[in-house]
Amino acid sequence: MGFKKQGVSILLAVCLTTVSFAQDSLKVSGALDDTLTLRQSTVTAKSREQALREGAFAVGALNIRLQASTLQSLAQAIDKTAGIRIREEGGVGSDFDLSINGMSGNSIRYFLDGMPLDAKGTGMTLANLPVNIIDHVEIYKGVIPASFGSDALGGAVNIITNRRTRNYLDFSCGFGSFHTHKADFSAQYTGKKTGIVIKPVISANYSKNDYLMRDVKVRNEEHTAFVIRDLPRFHDDYLSLFGQLEAGVVDRSWADAFFVSASVSKIDKDIQTGATQDNVIGMAERHTQSLGISSRYEKTDFLTEGMQLLASVSQTFDHAWTIDTTYRRYYWDGTYIDGSYSEIRHRGKTLRHYRRPLTVVRANLDYRFARGHDVALNYTLNRVVNRQEDTWDEDFVPTGDVLAKHVVSLSYDQSLLSGRLNNAFFVKDYINHLTVGQEELPSTTGADKVKGSSTQNYLGGGVGSRFLFLEELAMKGSYEHSVRLPISREVLGNGSTVYPNLALKPEVSENFNLGLFGTAGLGGGHSLSYEVNGFVRLVDNYIRAQMSETESMMQYVNVAAVHIKGVDGEVRYDWAGKLHLAVNASYDDSRDMRKYTQSGDISITYKNRTPNRPWAWCNAEVSYTFRNVGLRDSRLRLSCDYQWVHWFYLTWEAFGSASSKSKVPTQHITNASLLYAWHDSRYNVSLECTNLFDALAFDNYRLQKPGRAFFLKFRLFL
Amino acid sequence: MKELKKLLVLVTVAMVSMMTLAVSCNEPEPEPEPEPEPVVKDYNFDLFVCAVKHGGMSQNKNGTYVRSVPSLTADQPRVEFTGKGVDITQDYTLESITKGKYYYQVPQKATGGFVKFHIGRNAAGEESIVEDAEIPFKDNTYSARKYTHAWTDDNTLVIIGTASKTTKIIWTKLKDSSTGLSVDSEGTFDINLPEGFNAFSTAGLLTYRPSDRKLYYFYLTKPASGQSDAATSKTWIAIINPSTMAVESNTEVPGDVMEETAGSAYGELMQSMIMHDETGNLYLAGLKTLDGKEMGVLRRIKAGSQTFDTSYNGFPNPEGKLLTVQYLGDGKALCYSRDENLGTKIDSKSHFYSIINLTDGSRSRVKYNGTDLQYCGGRFSQRSVVVNGKAYIGVGGETEGEEEATFPTIYIYDCKTGVVEKGVELSKGFCFDIIRAMDVE
Repeated sequence: MGFKKQGVSILLAVCLTTVSFAQDSLKVSGALDDTLTLRQSTVTAKSREQALREGAFAVGALNIRLQASTLQSLAQAIDKTAGIRIREEGGVGSDFDLSINGMSGNSIRYFLDGMPLDAKGTGMTLANLPVNIIDHVEIYKGVIPASFGSDALGGAVNIITNRRTRNYLDFSCGFGSFHTHKADFSAQYTGKKTGIVIKPVISANYSKNDYLMRDVKVRNEEHTAFVIRDLPRFHDDYLSLFGQLEAGVVDRSWADAFFVSASVSKIDKDIQTGATQDNVIGMAERHTQSLGISSRYEKTDFLTEGMQLLASVSQTFDHAWTIDTTYRRYYWDGTYIDGSYSEIRHRGKTLRHYRRPLTVVRANLDYRFARGHDVALNYTLNRVVNRQEDTWDEDFVPTGDVLAKHVVSLSYDQSLLSGRLNNAFFVKDYINHLTVGQEELPSTTGADKVKGSSTQNYLGGGVGSRFLFLEELAMKGSYEHSVRLPISREVLGNGSTVYPNLALKPEVSENFNLGLFGTAGLGGGHSLSYEVNGFVRLVDNYIRAQMSETESMMQYVNVAAVHIKGVDGEVRYDWAGKLHLAVNASYDDSRDMRKYTQSGDISITYKNRTPNRPWAWCNAEVSYTFRNVGLRDSRLRLSCDYQWVHWFYLTWEAFGSASSKSKVPTQHITNASLLYAWHDSRYNVSLECTNLFDALAFDNYRLQKPGRAFFLKFRLFL
Repeated sequence: MKELKKLLVLVTVAMVSMMTLAVSCNEPEPEPEPEPEPVVKDYNFDLFVCAVKHGGMSQNKNGTYVRSVPSLTADQPRVEFTGKGVDITQDYTLESITKGKYYYQVPQKATGGFVKFHIGRNAAGEESIVEDAEIPFKDNTYSARKYTHAWTDDNTLVIIGTASKTTKIIWTKLKDSSTGLSVDSEGTFDINLPEGFNAFSTAGLLTYRPSDRKLYYFYLTKPASGQSDAATSKTWIAIINPSTMAVESNTEVPGDVMEETAGSAYGELMQSMIMHDETGNLYLAGLKTLDGKEMGVLRRIKAGSQTFDTSYNGFPNPEGKLLTVQYLGDGKALCYSRDENLGTKIDSKSHFYSIINLTDGSRSRVKYNGTDLQYCGGRFSQRSVVVNGKAYIGVGGETEGEEEATFPTIYIYDCKTGVVEKGVELSKGFCFDIIRAMDVE
């Protein structure tokens, strides 16, 4: 009994250690000095990330809290996960596209503690969310648990914030190359008697992004010819501000937790280039402001023992506007000529406003009717109003439409054979409700077919299973018939360059995953863990943008189909929490399976590899931690990571000679960092060098990414 | 004595002159010189295809590929694009100005310049783009595709476009000589929108008529920019002095002549809509609305005149829109038009080739072995070119159903005899869009 207590104590200690320091899986060997006997015991604790990986679904889990002292952005950390690829267009705050096992763009959904990230404002992304508030990130590949109530097709990223119970204050600030400055503040006050909790968050990011663009064209002194120069970016300032105040109570008889919160965000962004760096922009800007209010309620043993209720509601007022009111043609040296058309759209001047009030309601009722058997009912509402107007272009006709998505899901989770076998079954009902205000171009937009309002219903479902043969070998597989309802931009257009397609059908995909994973303790503090996942995505009614017959306009249309098959794997090695090695590799093969073109002809691209997407890449990371260097209770962590991405063609690989084809070149990017923490990690200083060897880096065609950069960050955690 | 000598010299000169004149008068009349044989030049034929969807006008992102071949006769190997040809998708537009062996254009890559290039071959013998020059514009800037052009002599190129939300018409004169490509001059025409109209056409159509050494600029005025109902547009002709770029006249074309030109957004960078015959007549393809449908007309400005001959229509009783016209010689023209009843989408198989007799407007479908060439998809296509007394006509393959699929094929029409022979085939499945005849290096 005594040993059992001690074991529990050790387990708790280990969990706390896990929380406080970096490692995914922790195995502790310790000598327990019992009053009666001296016994050697080994206790193994699994981190939450490891437990997630061992669930029934294909999940990548990433501990951010441990890296918060060094990270510049969340996106940088996620990019190092197996099966994940983030393509950035430039420096801090630039647009990016995240792909999970080959699916990207609108097929991926983002959540913050289970609520859509959009509820914090459309400007808040992985690039600017303050990392200090994040505990870990769950990356669901293909099959997504019913509890999200989501219609994601390719996967989901769920960002889990800290749920510390004690009071704390977390402040960090940093500066670095390209005039980059960042500051994050978060804190928590908990009244022990009252149970009142107050959690403020403030975050600010600023960068001029004036990194050097190499080999760009500018005019000679006489303005008669082009010459090649290396010049800094000059119109890429980025500022993001985010503030949130959350207040509530915990551990009350009527609620385990009840919080209300208000958040504001503001993003100001200069626009430096068009689709490629040849198109230089010097005046256009984009701004976003959001105000959000939300509340969440959690209660275990709700109505009856074993029942848990999670409910949340949010309302976000989002206002974005793009200023494109200059007829100028810029060059990389900052000079310009008074041109004939606007910078972004290459047409008339516009000052376009988008107002998109968003309402999100989520309720999850979970009932454990027997040990190892849970059923859950989930409901999610996502309603967006789409209002557009132009305060410069008098010809623009304001629009107003409403798109509401309801997702109801029912799931059943079971744990059998003493937890060796876990199964999850779920069904989802997707209801799409559209109210159309616009009546323009009915033959193009389908407004004549979808007059007034309409409601459509779709069913989906899936299953996930995991079997633990040994600690060193487990297998998991999952399948989902998933449906992705079109987002507002796809259905309703954007009022300027995208025509509505009110008759757009949802994407449907059959997602299959099969994986092996395990952890082996090698003795002497050495441990090795691995995972390998194979996946298949068979997507029908794939929604893609198609250029319209009228120039510069495009429209989202359904095309069948895209099939993606691939594999990703990761191996991690750890020695006594000091030496950490990790290598992962990803490969996917995406083929266009659309056999016929719109006119009924055989498509020449049938079975061709989908262009303009990376299909092979790998990451490697090594870190070593020294303890008690200089100061007591200090640690010094040196780490280095390397990323390789295979080159890929911009257009269909089969056609045209290889020498004439445009390619996004192979990338070799190496980053290094140094972290020194002392006083039990109360104080942290980190120095990072990204793109250590100053390699020319591209994620997208002719959009150079930053070269070598340094960043210094100080963090105080009380 | 001196006077006598002078007299003798004068008499002698006079006698010699008279004898010379007498001999000359007795010479027989010279034989009339035989009509010179047309000079047969060597050309390379550049063939442009697109994947998935026809290119031109719409910015096809599925890929545009070019093969350059020395001949289009049937004895040539099938023209393949798998692993062959130049992929121009990212950098250049299908639409281009050509002269000699060179292409000139505002490129897709939007560098803010004007580029000159040709298709050469690399060390491996593969076609490749060789950029010969790229120059920045001065003040007037142009978007890719959205301009019209004319060569006023071997070295002078004029381009015209619109600016400020298509409310101003701008021009730039470029020189391409031994000293290189350069911007010579530029400006804005003093042409204003009439009351009730808020936009010009995106580019209009420009041509140079050598017989009166004038630039003819055809443009539209519309109630609003972008696509509009043809019946609400008006067509205008501005006659421009190419030396001074002064607008010498600017007159409205009566609505019963045409409501719009056949195209107005992209000049003749892809499709030919203007032609000149041997006598200096100028022909322009246009359209009028009949029973709610846009139908083609072919109008003429006679040599010596600067206004349309309102009594002339070289395209009577149309089945639909007239899309392209190319002069074949001897009062004949090749036209590419559409049958409205068979579909009006860009890929509708409703487009066909005919030979027009310009004298009386009669026309007949181009036939091979007595059968009409098939209908094709591709509203914005220029799959025909006229060189060396022959018209090379491209017909898209029939690909509806794998079993029935046929290859896109070139047919060669002899302008003198009217005989049509079958030419080379292209690989299946691509959308065949352009043939250009380029001088051999």
